[in-house]
Amino acid sequence: RKAKLFPPVPPLSFLHSFWSDGEQTPESRTFHSAAFCRPAMEINDGEEEEEFEFSRNYFLAKELGGSSKKSGRKISDIDPVDEQELRTAANNLEPKHEREVASLMESYKASYPEWGFMLRTGFGLLMYGFGSKKALIEDFASTSLTEYSVVVINGYVQSINLKQVMVAIAEVWWDQLKAKRRNSPSQAQQPFNSRSIDDLLAFMDGQEADDDKSFVCIIVNNIDGPGLREPESQHLLARIASCTHIRIIASIDHVNAPLLWDKKMVHTQFNWYWYHVPTFAPYVVEGVFFPLILAHSSTAQSAKTAAIVLQSLTPNAQSMPIESLYAASRERFLVSSQVTLNSHLTEFKDHELVKTRRNADGQDCVYIPLANDGLQKLLPEINP
Amino acid sequence: GSIETREVHSAVAFVSARREWLDGKQNERVEVEAQKTESGLVPTHLALGSCHRGGATSGFTVSEFTPAGKLLVPSGSSSKGLHLHCCCYMEPFTILHKASSRKTDKISTGTGKSRTTRRIDLTASLPASTDISDVNAAESNERHYSNMRMEAFEAVWSSTESSIKDVLREANATIFSEIHEWVRDSFDTIVSFGVPNFHEATQPFPVVKDATSKQIFTGLVLTRNIEFVDDLVTFEDLKQHLKSQGCHVANLSSVDFSSKNGVGTCLRSLLGQFVTGSLDTADISMLATWYKEQQNNDNPVVIIIDDMERCCASILSEFIHMLSEWVLKVPAILIMGVATTVDAPRNVLPSNALHRLHARKFTFQSLPEKMNYVVETAFVKQSSEFTISHKTAVFMRNYFVHQNGSVTSFIRALKIACAQHFSTQPLCFILHWFLRDEDNEVPQSHIYGLSQERMLKLAFDLPSWKSTNNQITQLSGETLLDGLTQLKKLHKTWRMVVLCLYEAIKGENVQLLDLMCEALDPKGPFASQFDIGSRVLPSDDSTSQKFHSLEKNKGLINRAIRRVKELPANQLLVLMKAWEKHTVDVPEFHSEVKALVLSLLKLEENGESLNQNKVEMTNTRKQALRGHLNGADKNLRVANEKASNLVDLMVRRYMCPVECVALHEVLCFDCVDQLQAALIGDMRRRIQMDLQDFHAIIRCSCCSKRGSTILPSMPDSSIMYTLAQEHGDVVNVHDWYQSFKSVVLSTHMVSKRGKSRSKQHSPTPKKRKTTSELSQPSEASIQARFCKAIVELQVTGLVRMPNRRRPDYLQRLAFGS
Repeated sequence: RKAKLFPPVPPLSFLHSFWSDGEQTPESRTFHSAAFCRPAMEINDGEEEEEFEFSRNYFLAKELGGSSKKSGRKISDIDPVDEQELRTAANNLEPKHEREVASLMESYKASYPEWGFMLRTGFGLLMYGFGSKKALIEDFASTSLTEYSVVVINGYVQSINLKQVMVAIAEVWWDQLKAKRRNSPSQAQQPFNSRSIDDLLAFMDGQEADDDKSFVCIIVNNIDGPGLREPESQHLLARIASCTHIRIIASIDHVNAPLLWDKKMVHTQFNWYWYHVPTFAPYVVEGVFFPLILAHSSTAQSAKTAAIVLQSLTPNAQSMPIESLYAASRERFLVSSQVTLNSHLTEFKDHELVKTRRNADGQDCVYIPLANDGLQKLLPEINP
Repeated sequence: GSIETREVHSAVAFVSARREWLDGKQNERVEVEAQKTESGLVPTHLALGSCHRGGATSGFTVSEFTPAGKLLVPSGSSSKGLHLHCCCYMEPFTILHKASSRKTDKISTGTGKSRTTRRIDLTASLPASTDISDVNAAESNERHYSNMRMEAFEAVWSSTESSIKDVLREANATIFSEIHEWVRDSFDTIVSFGVPNFHEATQPFPVVKDATSKQIFTGLVLTRNIEFVDDLVTFEDLKQHLKSQGCHVANLSSVDFSSKNGVGTCLRSLLGQFVTGSLDTADISMLATWYKEQQNNDNPVVIIIDDMERCCASILSEFIHMLSEWVLKVPAILIMGVATTVDAPRNVLPSNALHRLHARKFTFQSLPEKMNYVVETAFVKQSSEFTISHKTAVFMRNYFVHQNGSVTSFIRALKIACAQHFSTQPLCFILHWFLRDEDNEVPQSHIYGLSQERMLKLAFDLPSWKSTNNQITQLSGETLLDGLTQLKKLHKTWRMVVLCLYEAIKGENVQLLDLMCEALDPKGPFASQFDIGSRVLPSDDSTSQKFHSLEKNKGLINRAIRRVKELPANQLLVLMKAWEKHTVDVPEFHSEVKALVLSLLKLEENGESLNQNKVEMTNTRKQALRGHLNGADKNLRVANEKASNLVDLMVRRYMCPVECVALHEVLCFDCVDQLQAALIGDMRRRIQMDLQDFHAIIRCSCCSKRGSTILPSMPDSSIMYTLAQEHGDVVNVHDWYQSFKSVVLSTHMVSKRGKSRSKQHSPTPKKRKTTSELSQPSEASIQARFCKAIVELQVTGLVRMPNRRRPDYLQRLAFGS
């Protein structure tokens, strides 16, 4: 049934062929599946059923997308409200189920001892489930992990310098070490920020600690976030996580987040222990860098932006008809030289009021990337 | 987190300036930068999060997100004075707190609320210490006990883990020494090409001789694993082995050979492993210098590349060329892990690089063999008594066969099971007690925070104890001790039987894990007589006999029994000798096996003498001889029969699955669901299930009447997600919005109805107030909710923003049930 509907997906079929083909050369990466008899009891029968449901849904959705008449309605038909109003409204939304969410968060407190135990046994905790888990994880850390230093990395921030983070972690670990053995003379230290990444890793992995049970805990909010999505960042995080004196707690939200890691990272470096902890808390900080869809694409909005830009320009630039060329501008005594025109145009280009493209004859042409209705709205505004 | 507010009179702030700013030191710098961009558009990364967060709405307007994630703030707001709320949420990283030596120091900074709940938790989990009124004392006690439990876990797990590691290392010992021998031979050959003289050695360029001296000795190691995770462990062991033999060893992985960074990365990584101190440039001449500086140059440099096929071919070949030029100065020997076939280098590398390689093949143990070692060590020959239930064993087996295929992950799964056992089972410390072999003393429960009475109560409340020992009323420490001793004994004999059975079918390409699953089954055909409640052997064997015959053709246990019956004399003797070793602890069997061994030995002697006689025999005596041979056959058959009966008896009398023994909960892990959840996070499905069945999770009263209807009280994201189900793979934003709006507005229809009803019945002023507040939500707020819900669906990766080609459609990325 599955085979009919589901064409083999590469990674799966790769494995399956290993398990089902008994006939392979000894040199090949063989596993004699014949050595394993059929499982005495299929525990995951129900799961396969569900999996089948998922694949069926995929094809149904694809079919629906293809066959049904597509609605031609535009976003602008919604008639979005003024952006400022929209943002104000978005900031003042009344949260739903506030009480229930709070008590759900409260209910996780009972699991804190277990989480702490798993962390101390050497696993990395990976929290997933719908809702922001930032508050939950940080509350856990500040109630149950007080004997360890805790560093928080916010993956939802756009850019993160992991080297800086590592320096901070190393400093914290150094403080922790120093506090542990007060009487021993502190050895001369090269400042951490001038050390190489490998040195820092070696320091965090080192055997310098008298008791090797102590560690620094790193919380990575949204390890799948935009600031950490690069493979290099993930590899580095994995190397940090595998250090002896580091434990990691991370949260993921994106359904494809597990694709960030290969098996080495999952099983030997991060050593993930999955916890399903839906909180239904709103994704506030996590969503900051996502645009609001209705604030983004409406023509009214671009017209408004354009008006703002134009208003703030010098009078000559404001009153200049954009589509005219140098000659026309000169005719009207708007610019006196090509250089001035260019400087005006550069200003427009920078703010995407005009764009250039090359026509069939190879000439550079200036155009306004605004829709007609946008322009219509714009003109009365700048020429009252 | 603390939210700091600064008022900035110009509308600019760059992220780089932000930190100083929080310290309140460099306001000037911020302003200087502000003057630079007086165009009216302000690029800033700033903390919008706080605007949303605190509810204290900012005095500035954000008009645009640029693609780089910057915000454009119109200049109009600057005249009013821009309030920027900075808070730690937008920091890339923060230090939440530093380690405190005493826990109580830190608690004071927490909220009072969490503190009280913690106290409640503690008293709930520690009924024995209710008399301790002081929270801190209770807390420190609890911490102490959890440390003790942690110690117990570490003792139990490390005994298992170290024996597994040892057995895996032993399994590779032969091949490791073979590799080492080859490394030595290769090194001698390299040296025989000529050692550079002092002058040559100090020059920063390679020594060039003839072509043969440029060859790199390369060991191609067939790892025969499915997952390269297992290879890593093996190569790490190999590295340690070679190091212990004096070689200089470095590990490189395919990450070092990525096309992105060029050959410099792998050189740097290589140098980093040999040369201490920081490296500004990576150059192979540095490696040569380093090698020259070594005390004695009698040792080769071995470079292990984990997974050759995953390396970038051009970088690898460049690396090989470089090494081969320098081989006389740096006697490097390559060991490359190959996952598929020995042809792999031919497929990956260009021919000029291949010519530089002088390859030899090595083959590691296959995965099933390794797996058998691991299972044998962990469950059958283990030093700790920790074990898993039948269900768990089947799950782990399926996880290995169908999902993972790596020994490392199997061990990891076992560790998770063990850790979960220690975190959930209050009597887990008894495992530590078993490990320490203090059989004649009642376990010291108080050091783990349990009074003895409490321990006894917990133990005698275990389902397995209750169902077996109803009649025993005297519940004392001795009773527990007896129970535990019995448990240990039965577990031991079970392992003995499994080991004997495994010996019998070892040669037939059988997985011990399969056999174990079968032997663990408390409902299996052989376990019926061990049913909880009748541990004494039933006098009438007919029922089990029936089962036996029914299942005759199935299962590995039956196969083992049959095989024992059919074994030829010499193999039977080997098997019996193995059994003799395994059965030492059960004298009854030991003596019988011994007797069998003796009779087989005699048989063999006779056979040998017969064979010798055969040569000298004359035709006339052949007749008599045949008779004699028949007699030998008969003797063998008798021996086979005896052995088969023996194994049959063994299985039926001693192979008691652990789940049939009283008190087994103490050492047997059974929460298979928990294990599965921790091991396999089903991200994609669970997120969608959360949105669909949110009511099961948050348990609110308003959304309880769930059918197929979408209720407006549901979380917006849930409404949106459910609505999206009706669309294909792309969703028209307008249509989606309209249906969302109609759902949202339906609240007010319902509440209006409710309002009129409530007015009729009880027009209390309070109610009137609440209902009158439920005015129609403004268009702006509906739109804002819609946008927010889409953002949430984007964060979870369920939809993707419109692209330029389809500006009015959102793409669905996951298709739930």
